[in-house]
Amino acid sequence: VTAAELATGAVMLAALAGAPVLSGLIQRQKAYLQGRVGTSMWQPYRDLRRLWRKRAVQPSGTTATYLLAPAVNAAALFAAMLIVPATADAPQFGVGHDALVVVGLLALARGMLALSAWDTTSGFGLMSASRDLTFAVAGEVLLAVVLLTAALPVGSTDLRAMWLGASGSGIWAHPAHWCGLAGMILVVLVETGRQPIDNPDTHLELTMVHEGPLLEYAGRDLAYLQWSLAARHWVVMLLAASLFLPHPSGAAAGLAAVLGWVIALTALLALVETMTAKMRLLRVPHLVGSAGLLALGGVASWILGVTL
Amino acid sequence: VIALVAVLAAAIVAVGAALPVARVPLAVALWTQGVGVGLAGLAGGVAFIAGRTVGAGFRAGVHPGFGIDPLTGFFVCVVAVAALPILVYASGYVPGLPSARAVAGLGGGFLLALIGVVCARDALSFLACWELMTILPAACVLVAKPDVIVRRAIVEYLAITHLGGTGVWIVMLILAERGVLAGPGLAAHGTAVVALVAVASLVGFGSKAGLVPLHMWLPRTHPVAPSHLSALMSGVMLKVALYGLIRVCFWWLDPAPAWLGIALVAVGAASAVGGIVGALLQRELKRLLAYSSIENVGLIAIALGVSIVLGDAGARTWATIAFAAALLHVLNHAVIKAALFLAAGSIERATGEHRLDRLGGLLGRMPWTGGACAVGILALAGMPLLNGFASEWLVLQALVHGAMSSGRTGGLVSGVALAVVAATIGIGLLCFVKFGGLVLLGRPRSEGARRATDVGLPMRAGVVGLAGACVVLGTVPGLVLAPLLRLRSGPTPAGFAAGLWLPGTGGLPTVGLLAVLALVTAALVRARGPRTTPAPVWNCGQADEPALAWTPAGFSSSLLLSVRGVLPTERVLEREHQGSVVTHVRYAQHVPNPFEAQIYRPAQRMALRVAHVARRLQSGSLQAYVGYFVVLLIALLILARVVGP
Repeated sequence: VTAAELATGAVMLAALAGAPVLSGLIQRQKAYLQGRVGTSMWQPYRDLRRLWRKRAVQPSGTTATYLLAPAVNAAALFAAMLIVPATADAPQFGVGHDALVVVGLLALARGMLALSAWDTTSGFGLMSASRDLTFAVAGEVLLAVVLLTAALPVGSTDLRAMWLGASGSGIWAHPAHWCGLAGMILVVLVETGRQPIDNPDTHLELTMVHEGPLLEYAGRDLAYLQWSLAARHWVVMLLAASLFLPHPSGAAAGLAAVLGWVIALTALLALVETMTAKMRLLRVPHLVGSAGLLALGGVASWILGVTL
Repeated sequence: VIALVAVLAAAIVAVGAALPVARVPLAVALWTQGVGVGLAGLAGGVAFIAGRTVGAGFRAGVHPGFGIDPLTGFFVCVVAVAALPILVYASGYVPGLPSARAVAGLGGGFLLALIGVVCARDALSFLACWELMTILPAACVLVAKPDVIVRRAIVEYLAITHLGGTGVWIVMLILAERGVLAGPGLAAHGTAVVALVAVASLVGFGSKAGLVPLHMWLPRTHPVAPSHLSALMSGVMLKVALYGLIRVCFWWLDPAPAWLGIALVAVGAASAVGGIVGALLQRELKRLLAYSSIENVGLIAIALGVSIVLGDAGARTWATIAFAAALLHVLNHAVIKAALFLAAGSIERATGEHRLDRLGGLLGRMPWTGGACAVGILALAGMPLLNGFASEWLVLQALVHGAMSSGRTGGLVSGVALAVVAATIGIGLLCFVKFGGLVLLGRPRSEGARRATDVGLPMRAGVVGLAGACVVLGTVPGLVLAPLLRLRSGPTPAGFAAGLWLPGTGGLPTVGLLAVLALVTAALVRARGPRTTPAPVWNCGQADEPALAWTPAGFSSSLLLSVRGVLPTERVLEREHQGSVVTHVRYAQHVPNPFEAQIYRPAQRMALRVAHVARRLQSGSLQAYVGYFVVLLIALLILARVVGP
């Protein structure tokens, strides 16, 4: 085992515990940008601690689906966090490093949450689930094509190879990489449920996209779901940083650069959330679909051998 | 020995098919068929895994011949893996049908025809079994439920599959006439013949497999058939039709031209999207499943097409993997779809309802059937780590590598197809979450669903067995993929385990992933603690009123609204006035089927017009008919003189 492997593995395992910091960081920076005092960046941990002490509920008439949804959600994100490598020297946790498996795991988390809404038949939960899955149709196309733009240069969907392929400066000569970057930023917005796609801070049930099914949960169940959302932030932001943002190919410098980009992306999300309002619901698939077309254009430019 | 077992198996199935005529319990007849199919599967499995060829080889003459090579063995295995649980289920299901004895007998004949098609080694036996495979299920459906709707559905089925089926005759007769049935070699007969055979096979086998635009018979026929027969038709018959396509593309036409691959990808992509959008719009259980079969056949066609394109570009390794991906999805979809059609049959029998919005809450009321149905739905939605995910992952990987290494045209086609498949999987998630939610979860939405209890043991066993196969195949896809890769000569990646470690991917270690998912889930559920005292659903303080319940149309409406530019929705809003007071408002929305409006209705009108003209020839006078014959004879003689030797 090399030092690079150890360091990368340590970062990836630490992220399992540290992911909630990302949500805290975004809230903190948002408060700063909006001229508010805001909460501490450790607030998500306080919330988790509070939820951990509370009792879970079991709405009458629900089945094992309700019980399993939060746990499966967290388990899927847990596996996804072990798959997405922080550097090209990431150790093998026995779950592989394939990009498309990550897409499947994100879909599993989303599908289980939507099924829990059907289990409780809560009107608001189902409204949210329907919207979430609608956005996910365009979102899945975008994510698949964006991952293809990153996989084309290295001829593999192994995320470690893709991490290496995106390092250095040569890759920026290809318009495909720029298209992929543009698409990836939208993927981050869609998957993390941030404005202008969704408003994570809303308390108005009618406007919820991701939060709706969470209304029926309490206690540790809700803690799992909150952690899963934070883990989703880590997974997609790490993907964006390691596949589309400039970083050196060396393990130590690359790890530092990628982590720096993840922090920078939280600042970007805070900025976007401060500056934009939520879009009209039915415009979202069009925006995401257009980004998918742009990324597909990038794929075409790579196949046709266009360089800048 | 394999040959002996295979012959014995066929004999036992035949005896099982004939037994209903005698006065024995139906279950005995069905079990006999089951034993026969199981033995056939065993013979096929040995031939497939050991790579053995037994019996006759392909021959050009008219002597009937049957044999098993590894590809045939795989398809016999698919038939057996799906048909065995189906027959167990049928032993509880068929006795409750009208004309149960005829249904059981014809069903056995159907099984024999299915196995006959894949084992036939000469053109005549192939065509004979092919026609039997078309006619026997039609007869079976008519016997089980002879009413007007069924008759119309069957007429449509026979019309489309027979018109399309001429393609199969053209393919087989050309191959026999050129004497190239024995193996690859048609390519030497010129591009025109190759093109004719390719197009004819796309139409002929494609119409039977349910590829667009010749797919409309499928959602009409499957819902009216008895459920065990729907399961056989959707799970197995569509795959046997694909077997024909595979034989043509990867055997007789080998190496197939790149344009055929591109055509397959295009037709497959249209089927995948058309099928899943159709499924999204359905309100009936089995109709939804039938549309989803079109989607999955489309995915298989895409993988086959990419394999041809990759092979044409010289990327042998991934061409082989794409081919194996298609066959793995053949097996996986056969198992999943059989499970779901059987579960749909149980649900219909237990509740007396077949509409999605009249079911609900069945996971608690029918734990075995409901649980198996949930597994099937998750597998069909491509959720990791059930079997649907493994093969959909492979299809996506095939497209990724198609974009990477099959030249410009092939690369662009693969890239677009990747986006289409991703959209299909996304819509599929929405569709199957809705399906599962409406059928299994929530409150029962009708009196029948409220009173439902689980069905008898054989019916439960059949469904649960198939659901178990979904889990097993999802855990060890690598064990099936390894012999599939050997089917195509060429470099095959070595070093397979239960998971899928393929060159150019990050690997799909199913066992490791399953362990992580299961352990974390179990730990979290344990930490969550036991069920606390039940409380009502919070629902933001709203009362839990049935009138506020979500409908299937409601759940998919945001998607339909966002794509109405492409797929317009027709809305009807009727207001009844009494003076200036609106007394009643009626609202209906409906998405017209573009295939029906653009292709089927015009074709139907044209056919009727032609028939009207042709009727003038039918004067009823004998002299006129004799005259026609004389004219025809003279024309043929002139033709023979002109083109003959």
